[in-house]
Amino acid sequence: MIIMRLNPLTIKKIKRFKSIRRGFYSFLLLVLMILSSFFAEMLVNSRALIVFYNGNYYFPVYESMNPGVKFGLDYDYETNYRQLQKRFKEEAKGNWVILPPVPYNPYENDLREDRFPPFPPSFAEKHYLGTDNVGRDILARLVYGFRIAIIFSLLLLLFDYGIGISLGSAMGYFGGKFDLFFQRIIEIWSNVPFLYVIIIISSIVVPSFFTLILIMAFFGWIGMTWTIRTVTYKEKAREYVLAARALGASNSRIIFRHIIPNTISVIVTYAPFAVSGGIVALTSLDYLGFGLAPPTPSWGELLQQGWIHMDSWWIGSSVIGAMTITLVTVTFVGEAVREAFDPKMYSTYE
Amino acid sequence: MKRLKAEFTNSLQSKNLQTIKPETRKREFRVNMLRMMIKTFVKFALVAGIFFLHVPSYAAAPELPKDIKWLTNDSDPVFASQEAKRGGTLHAAVMSFPMTFRVVGPDSNGSFRSAILDNHLSLIGIHPNTLNIIPELATYWAFGKDKKTMYFRLNKMARWSDGTPVTAGDFAYSLEFMRSKHIVAPWYNDYYTREIDRVIVFDDYTLAVVATKAEPDLYLKLGIAPTPAHYYGKLDDNFVRKYNWEIVPNTGPYQMSEFVKGKHIIFRRKNDWWGDELKYFKNRFNVEKVIFTVVRDMNMIWEYFKKGKEDEFGLTIPEYWHVKSKTPVIENGYVHKIWFFNDTQQSAMGLWLNQDREIFKDINVRYAFAHAMNVERVIEKVLRNDYFRLEHGFVGYGKYSNESIRARRFDLEKVGYYMRRAGWDRGADGIWGKNGNRFSVEVTYGSEAHTQRLVVLKEEAKKAGVELRLQNLDSTAAFKKFLEKKHDVAWMGWSTSFRPQFWEHFHSANAHKPQTNNITNTDDPEMDKLIDAYRNSLEEEERIKLSVEIQAKIHELGVFVPTFMVPYVRHAYWRWWRFPEIPGTKHSASLFDPFGSMAGGLFWFDEKIYHETKEAMKKGEKLRPVTIINETYKMKSITMKIE
Repeated sequence: MIIMRLNPLTIKKIKRFKSIRRGFYSFLLLVLMILSSFFAEMLVNSRALIVFYNGNYYFPVYESMNPGVKFGLDYDYETNYRQLQKRFKEEAKGNWVILPPVPYNPYENDLREDRFPPFPPSFAEKHYLGTDNVGRDILARLVYGFRIAIIFSLLLLLFDYGIGISLGSAMGYFGGKFDLFFQRIIEIWSNVPFLYVIIIISSIVVPSFFTLILIMAFFGWIGMTWTIRTVTYKEKAREYVLAARALGASNSRIIFRHIIPNTISVIVTYAPFAVSGGIVALTSLDYLGFGLAPPTPSWGELLQQGWIHMDSWWIGSSVIGAMTITLVTVTFVGEAVREAFDPKMYSTYE
Repeated sequence: MKRLKAEFTNSLQSKNLQTIKPETRKREFRVNMLRMMIKTFVKFALVAGIFFLHVPSYAAAPELPKDIKWLTNDSDPVFASQEAKRGGTLHAAVMSFPMTFRVVGPDSNGSFRSAILDNHLSLIGIHPNTLNIIPELATYWAFGKDKKTMYFRLNKMARWSDGTPVTAGDFAYSLEFMRSKHIVAPWYNDYYTREIDRVIVFDDYTLAVVATKAEPDLYLKLGIAPTPAHYYGKLDDNFVRKYNWEIVPNTGPYQMSEFVKGKHIIFRRKNDWWGDELKYFKNRFNVEKVIFTVVRDMNMIWEYFKKGKEDEFGLTIPEYWHVKSKTPVIENGYVHKIWFFNDTQQSAMGLWLNQDREIFKDINVRYAFAHAMNVERVIEKVLRNDYFRLEHGFVGYGKYSNESIRARRFDLEKVGYYMRRAGWDRGADGIWGKNGNRFSVEVTYGSEAHTQRLVVLKEEAKKAGVELRLQNLDSTAAFKKFLEKKHDVAWMGWSTSFRPQFWEHFHSANAHKPQTNNITNTDDPEMDKLIDAYRNSLEEEERIKLSVEIQAKIHELGVFVPTFMVPYVRHAYWRWWRFPEIPGTKHSASLFDPFGSMAGGLFWFDEKIYHETKEAMKKGEKLRPVTIINETYKMKSITMKIE
C-alpha cells in the first residue's frame, strides 16, 4: 500500500531499479514466467483449445470432461484430443481440433509399443524435453511444477512475513519483558531441527499443499522476526518516532505508519531471497520424498528421477536448467532491489 | 500365527543373505511387517496370559513304543552336480554389520541371522523339488499314533563343530533354552511353550518330540534344531551380553572363523564335515571360504561387483537386468547373466479392499474396482514384461493352490456393467457417482519405488471412471495404518508360509478390530465355516480340497486384486562360477546362497576358468557374452515369452 503511494523517493527507487539492466530484465522474465504459468492450461494441456465438430464449437480446456462418444469415438472416458485431431484430419469432413503448443498434461502416461520410458526429447512427438520414467511429458511437469513451487513460496513468504513483521516490530517497539519472553521462545524454537520435524510429520500423514505451507511457516518466521526486531529497535530511538509520540500518536499508528515504512527497504530486499529459498525448500523436500503427495508435478521428484536415471540426461538437465534459470532470475531481481533501495547510492556489493 | 513356523520356513525360504536382495525394498517391507506381526502376537500372548508352567522335559525312563514304523528317504533325486569341485572363495556383500551373532534375544532379528541359522541343521529337512522329508541330523523318523508325536533316530556321525557328538540331550536342551527367561525372547518362550509340549529322550540317539496338539503337517513343526548343551551349560542373567559376539558350535558345513566388527565376517568350510557323504548334501557347499564384506550402498556394491571385488550381483530389478547390465564386463563376456525360474510360494501382493468402507460394502463395486485396475499395462509398459500377473493370493503352494482362478482383467465394459448394477452413474468429470458420492478411493502404500507403478494404474483407472488418490507413507506407518484398518485400499504383499494361511486374513474372528491381518475385514459365515474346517482337518486330501475351495471363495468375494509376482531369480556372476545342469531347485530364492540346507551351496568355483578369464582380461581379449535362461521349473500358468 505504502509503496503504491508514489512519492518522489519511491519513483527514484523504481528508476534506479530499472537502470539496473540485469535485475530489471530478470524481473520481466520472472513476471512473464509466473503469469504464463497461471495460464498453463492454455499452453500445456492434453485437452484441446478448440474443437470444431459437426458445426459446433467446443472449448474443452475450461469445460468439464468430454467423453469420447461426444465426438463420435467409441469410448466413455475422456477424449484423447491428439488422436481426435489425427482422426479428423484423416476423415477430412471439415472438423478440426486446435491443440495447445504442448499437447500433454502432467499426469498422463504417454507409453509406446516396443519401447520403454524415459523417452528422449522429440519434436515429432511434441515431447520437447522428453518424458520421465513413466512416460509423462517433462516440460508439462516442469511448467505445472513451477506454478506450484512459485505459489507455494509466495504464500510461504506471506505467512513468514506476516508473523515475522508483526511480532518482530512488536518485540522491538515494546521491548522489556515482552521482548525478553519472545527472545527465549525464538531461541528454543530455532533449535528444533525443522527438516526432521517435517520428515517425521510427512511420514505419518501425507501433507497437502496448505499443511506443508503451515508446517514450513511454523519454522520459517524466525529469521524475519529477528531482523525486524533489530531494525525496529534502531528506528524507535529516532527523533521522528519521538515526535510522533509527542503528537499523541497511538502505538499502532507509530508502528504501522512510521516505523514499518522506514524499514521497508529491509523487508523488500529480503523478499526475493525468501522466494528462492521457498522454491529450494519445496524442491528438496520433494526430492527426499517428503513433500507433496505423488503424482503432483514437482521439480524435486524430477530431480530424483534424474539422479536415478543418470543416462537419461534430458530428465536431470531439464530440471536443473529450469531451477538454475528461476533461481538466477530471482537472485538478480533481489540484488537489483537491494541496490535500488540502498540509500548509499554508490556502494558496491560483493 | 503366520510365522509360527518361523524357524522352519526360514530354511525353506532360504534367505539369500550373502547378496543384496534385488527386491530389497519390498523384502524389507515384508521383514518389517513380519517383525510387527511377531510383536503383535507376542503382545496377544502376554495379554491373554497364556503361560503354562511346564512339566520338566526329561521324563523318567521312557520306553519307545513297539508299533511305530521307522521311515527314511534315500530315493528322491539329488539336485547337486557330481562335477562340483571343492575350493575357492565367494565374496559377498551385506549392507550392514549384524548387531549381534546371537540368534535369539534383543537385536537378533537382523537379516544376517539366517546366515548363522542356516549352519544350524535340524532333525529333518525338506527336499526342495519333491517337498518330501529328507534326513538331516536324524536319519530315521516315525509318526506317533496320537498325531502329536514324532520319533527320531539321530545320525551317529553328527558332530558339533567342536567335535562333540550331537545327542538327543541337545534337543531336550533346545526346549529348556528356548523357554528360558534369560534369553529375553518372549516370542520364542511362548512358541516353545504353546506349540511344543516336550522332548522325550529314549537314549543318546533316539528321541521323540511332542506337540501340544494334533495338527496337519506336523513334521514342519517337530523337526526342531539342537542347541549345544555342553557349550551353554546353565543359563543366567548374563546371557544376552555374554553371547553377543560368541561363535556358537554348529552342525552345518561352515563355521564363522574370523570377523572385524563393522567390516567383514569370514566363514570357513569344515574340512571333515560329518555331513559330506549324506546323499542330499554330497557335492554341495563347495566353496572353501565365504567373505561377507559390509558395503552400505547398493550402487557401491554394483561398482565393486564390476571391478571383480564381489562375485555375484542380483539382477531381479528390471532396470538392472535391461539397462545397467549393458556394461563392458558383461558385454565382453567376463560376467555372465542367468535368469532362473523357480516355482515357490508367491507373496500375495496387490490391492486389499477394506470392506468396512461404505463404498466397498457392495460386491459389484468391488468387482468393478478389480476390472478398473490395468495391471497388465503396468507390467507391459513399466516393468518391461519382467513381472508376471499374480492370479490369486496363494500361487506356488503346489496342490494347495487353486490353479483355475484367473484375476479379473482390465475391462471397461465390465466396470460399466457392475457399476450400473450397483446403481452408480458417471458424473460430469467422468468419475462414477451415486447420491453425491464419487468413486474416489485412497490407495496407501509404503514404498517410494512403487509410485511409478501406481501412477500408471491411476491414469488407467480414470478411464474406467475410478479415481485413485495415492498416499505414500513410510513403510512402518503404512503397515500400522493397515493393521488399524484405517485404509480404503492397501497396496501391499504378505510374506509367505509353507502352507496357505487363511484364518489370519479372511476369518471373521479377525475382522473389524485393529492389529489383525484381516485387513479386508472379511466377515462371511460361509468363509468362516470353510476356514474352520481347514484348520481342524488333519487329512491332507481334505485340506487340499478345502484350500482350493477357500481360494475360489476369496476370488468370489473380490476383496483382493492380485498384482504381480516375480517367480524367478536373476544374477550377474563372474564366469568362473559354475552350476549344476539345472542351476537351482524349485524353491531356490537365490543361486548364490552358500549355506541354505534346503537348496543352497550348489554352485562351485572353477579355477581353470578363473585363470583363463583373468588372462583374457589382462590381454583385453573379448569373450562370448552369455545369458542363461532356465525355464525347467517355470510355472505353467506363465504363458508370456521370455527373450
